[in-house]
Amino acid sequence: MKKQSYKSYQFRQKAIPYLFLAPNLIIFTTFIIFPAFVGVYYSFTDMTLFTFGTPNFIGLTNYIELFQDEEFLAALKNIVLLVIATVPLIFTTALLIALLLVQPIKGKNFWRAVYYWPVMISPIVVGIIWQWILAGNFGLFNTTLKLLGVGPIETLINPRFAWWSVVFAKVWSRTGYFMIIFMAALLSIPQSLYEAAKVDGASRLQRFWHVTYPALKPARLMVFILLTMEIFKIYPMVLTLTGGGPFESTQFTVQYIYETAFKSYQIGYSSAMSVIMLLFVTVFSAFNFFLQRGGKNS
Amino acid sequence: MKNKQIFLYFIAVLLTLIFLVPVIYIIASSFKPMNELFSANPTFFPREFTLDNYIKAIKRGNFLRYIFNSFFVATTSTIIAVLINTMSGYALAKFRFKGDTFIIMVILSTIMLPLEVIMVPIFSVLRAFGLYDSMWALIVPAAATPTGIFLMRQYLLTIPDEIIQSARIDGASEWRIFYSIILPNAKPAIATLAIFSFMWRWNDYIWPLIAISSPEKYTIQLAIANFTGEFGADYSSIIAMSAISMIPMLIVFIIFQKQFVQGTARSGMKG
Repeated sequence: MKKQSYKSYQFRQKAIPYLFLAPNLIIFTTFIIFPAFVGVYYSFTDMTLFTFGTPNFIGLTNYIELFQDEEFLAALKNIVLLVIATVPLIFTTALLIALLLVQPIKGKNFWRAVYYWPVMISPIVVGIIWQWILAGNFGLFNTTLKLLGVGPIETLINPRFAWWSVVFAKVWSRTGYFMIIFMAALLSIPQSLYEAAKVDGASRLQRFWHVTYPALKPARLMVFILLTMEIFKIYPMVLTLTGGGPFESTQFTVQYIYETAFKSYQIGYSSAMSVIMLLFVTVFSAFNFFLQRGGKNS
Repeated sequence: MKNKQIFLYFIAVLLTLIFLVPVIYIIASSFKPMNELFSANPTFFPREFTLDNYIKAIKRGNFLRYIFNSFFVATTSTIIAVLINTMSGYALAKFRFKGDTFIIMVILSTIMLPLEVIMVPIFSVLRAFGLYDSMWALIVPAAATPTGIFLMRQYLLTIPDEIIQSARIDGASEWRIFYSIILPNAKPAIATLAIFSFMWRWNDYIWPLIAISSPEKYTIQLAIANFTGEFGADYSSIIAMSAISMIPMLIVFIIFQKQFVQGTARSGMKG
């Protein structure tokens, strides 16, 4: 009798961690992992938004079509270029500002709070703010140019300007976040390393390259991966800033996937795009990972 | 040395302008009357102060309702997030069990599956489960976050095992140990998770976009985005809505600045 209840006690004890994990795991599998598999399945079918029942299996047709779809290829190229332009920019800006804020200056907490604050603004509103500043001849941007005696210039109706304003708005809204990560990493570098470098007669720049930069390796790696993932997912901010225009110049993959599914109703086709996009995200993250690892080893 | 100091302050002030002016400008604009908003000779601050834009925004399409919806979603989802992520963090921090590495892999894999990219099948799944156009579709799925789990796990590792063991010897049930020992001891981490979770849900656009169709269930972000997309969008009320939507975040930020900074520094606080 006693033995039996001990056994059931043991069994219960074994079950407990699984029970504690259950709510999270159920949500993850139901709403993230299962849909991902469903998406892979759809990508081989002719599923539309109005297909009820089983869609037809059409093999690789969607994928073949995809690589002849110029709009998709343009969106894909666009997002890759955006990652290449934005990731190093935010990375560098965040690191420079972090370096500034670990110098002995007064009011550190104030500066830090101000630079971090845009992180708290939703991407939708960030888009609105910059749209309002940049658009038209009478926005803050062109009015300021006029005061300086230049302009007005074409802003969001110019494809190139619109594209770079996406980059800029992203830098503006996300730098503060990565600045904090870099600051924490900078502050954790032991002061003795700098002292030693100083004794050895290292210049300020040398100290940065040989002490600071190698010591930042874990933070750098993390910032790179987080940033790449984030830029790949860009959508809401662009939606209110440029709407993807002009002439699709700021249309990135997520927007095109969304519109193919919900405006052209082609679920199967857009799922194939998602699969390609997931591959891209994975490859880029892995690339960043090895890039950072392959660098100067400390 | 002196010059260097001046240079540092100069940069600091310049950056302050870059980060602050756009926000001040949108707030200032929200108090401008119509003719000033679209004037060919705009000023930075309103010449004539008016609340018209706000009144119009409130009258238009149930603006207060959207704010209420956002509060409801953000609050309930945060409560659920704290509960279930702490439970998972506790299991991963204080138990050894079969398949724990596998479970960690499952949790990590969700980071590699961005919501934005798999919106379409998520939509199908919500529809199949009859959750489409339900507020619960915004609240429950979003409450589970890998970041939340790892944050809690990290913190709970610091709680000594002896406390848990002695409670077990005293005959406390596991659930009781969880809510009377683990939860109270994890307060600092819970505070961090809670404010981040609130911010993620308040600022979220993707879940509402996938899950909601009826206007009376719009969150504030979804409402702003949809109004912007309309033909001949009415910017005067959109700006007022945007300004209001920032207020709760500003308050949360001022009160909990320390938690935000520490949470971010602990890195990777991503919804």
